[in-house]
Amino acid sequence: MPADAARPTPASPAHVPAPAPVPVPMTAAASGVIHDLGYRRYDGRRLGRAQIARALCWHSLRSAFGIGRGVKAKIIPVIAFGIMCLPAIVNAVAVATSASHAPVVHYDTYTSAVRVLVMTVFIAAQAPELVSRDLRSHVLPLYFSRPIRRIDYPLAKLAAFVLACLIMIEVPELLLYLGTVLQAHGLSAIWAQTRGLVPGLLVGLMWAVVLAAIGLALASLSGRRAYATGTIAIFFFLTWTLARLLSHIAARVGGPGRPVPVPGAIGPPHGHNVFTVVPRPVPAGEHLAGLISPFTALDGVREWLGGTTPGIIPDPGGYGPAYGLMVLVFLGVAVGGLIARYRKVGIA
Amino acid sequence: MTEHASARAAVLPGAPAPGTVIDTRALTKRYPGQVIALDELTVSVAPGVTGLVGANGAGKSTLIKILLGLLVPTTGSASVLGHDCERDGERIRGLTGYMPEHDCLQPDVTATEFVTHLGRMSGLPPTAAKERAAESLRHVGLYEERYRQIGTYSTGMKQRVKLAQALVGDPRLLLLDEPTIGLDPAGRAAMLELVSRIGASFGISIVVASHLLGELEQICDHIVAIEAGKLLRSDTVVSFTQASQVLVIEVEEGTRQLLDELGRRGLGPTAQDRAVLVRLDGEGTYDAVRDAVADLGLPLNRMERRRHRIEELFQDDEAERSEMTGAADAR
Repeated sequence: MPADAARPTPASPAHVPAPAPVPVPMTAAASGVIHDLGYRRYDGRRLGRAQIARALCWHSLRSAFGIGRGVKAKIIPVIAFGIMCLPAIVNAVAVATSASHAPVVHYDTYTSAVRVLVMTVFIAAQAPELVSRDLRSHVLPLYFSRPIRRIDYPLAKLAAFVLACLIMIEVPELLLYLGTVLQAHGLSAIWAQTRGLVPGLLVGLMWAVVLAAIGLALASLSGRRAYATGTIAIFFFLTWTLARLLSHIAARVGGPGRPVPVPGAIGPPHGHNVFTVVPRPVPAGEHLAGLISPFTALDGVREWLGGTTPGIIPDPGGYGPAYGLMVLVFLGVAVGGLIARYRKVGIA
Repeated sequence: MTEHASARAAVLPGAPAPGTVIDTRALTKRYPGQVIALDELTVSVAPGVTGLVGANGAGKSTLIKILLGLLVPTTGSASVLGHDCERDGERIRGLTGYMPEHDCLQPDVTATEFVTHLGRMSGLPPTAAKERAAESLRHVGLYEERYRQIGTYSTGMKQRVKLAQALVGDPRLLLLDEPTIGLDPAGRAAMLELVSRIGASFGISIVVASHLLGELEQICDHIVAIEAGKLLRSDTVVSFTQASQVLVIEVEEGTRQLLDELGRRGLGPTAQDRAVLVRLDGEGTYDAVRDAVADLGLPLNRMERRRHRIEELFQDDEAERSEMTGAADAR
């Protein structure tokens, strides 16, 4: 250990053969002559629990984008953010060059395919960065032995990741708005754009909260980053694919607009939790298939609450409340699971 | 059991800061499945360096968790620095630095970043956290290497980082759980030296949990020994090591003759293994033994005052106890 050899105060042999009881002067001055290490007390300001939690949240938000870490940690978030902004940039160019100055991207859906894909990648890659690393390195006892409460840790992480997802979703929304408004003529045109933006931002908020909670809850299941990333990616892609598949099958079997029974031959994966929340899922497989995936459930809620742009799933029609309930179930299970997870982590 | 604790408080009239660092009353922790981790533990710890000794599973970790307010005792109460562990957990954790037994470091950050962040988590504002992180790392002997990633550190350096993060918030009490675990002899000695220096000159009380008695003996003022969740003994190291007024003599050969000779000189020797023990009654005893050995012309191997090892705490041997008591009485 070369570092130790270089230390100016190596282990004094005096302690080894003669374990003389150490006197306990409560002031450093008493033995300062021998061991003047200049220990200084800290009598400055100390932050309370809420401020510590906020500091943890800020630290985690930075790490969600790889800030304060190496270059490698920044690659995925930066690329993801860049792709997420592309539709807004395309829109800005289109608006500027077309004669009508009409936007080509809608605020409330943005571009669904891009959003689903990019958010899945971002969450799968970065949620483990926030929670799995700490589990892996067993650093949690150090947090729990500090003046915060056990619940503060998952809540600070959740807040940080919701903010990170908000940045991923809402910044492109704002770029979209900016790109359109800069070419708008007249206050009424600007007002129309602003009125379109607000629901778009609210949809983004809903996406950020639900997706961040699900991502963190899944990531907290494993301290191994690869497993955590795999779990999240598989969950999001599988449910998404399944929802779309079922929706297509239902549409084909039943034809457009006709109530259809749920095809029983699809197999178990479209299982219980989806249909248990639905009163009687007999005729509307096409409408209900979207409940399986968080993305389609969120989109269903958007359409239920008045979103007019055609989305990634057919309009839930009268089943809108089921979509609302499903989103709440996703959120509740994820947040509850996350908190329960950290109640169980041992400290020593 | 309680009289040990009170006796021990009385041993410290000269302690500069009166008051109790840790105080537990009939502390009991029963886990589901009737596993009893702590059983009516009543003990008080005064300022200074205190060893908490016990075998694995003796209840050390449970006690530390309760002291930090992270675990609620089944019955009984505990307080740290005058704060109730159940009600004022946050307060206590603000005043206490904890060094866990197991690895708890992130390999891909530098020691400076790691300790600074944990300083923030201890409630320090950003600038203070940075300053104190640098100082703490310097105090534990990490200088330029603190800008390197922790993953590149040796075990000894990692233990130092663990200690630094406990120190960064300027605690009044340090709880160190097996600080020498995994270290080679040189690393152990250096870590013990460091702990003892912090206790002596930083004005911070320290509780060191360990299963290695020899280490605790070297650096502690007091020892609290627990076994199966019960208090075995709580006393000063001084009283243990000085209690023995017994001289140990070992000769290469002729132990029998020496016993007889010493008996004739009225020293009342007893045989133990290959050694001869006599009661020490002042300097004259040394001379008498020397003369006896010289007169017999025996090759003397060893003559020293016997020091009671703390290991004897764990020997439930009645004879051993009575001998200790007898030796103490003779003082």
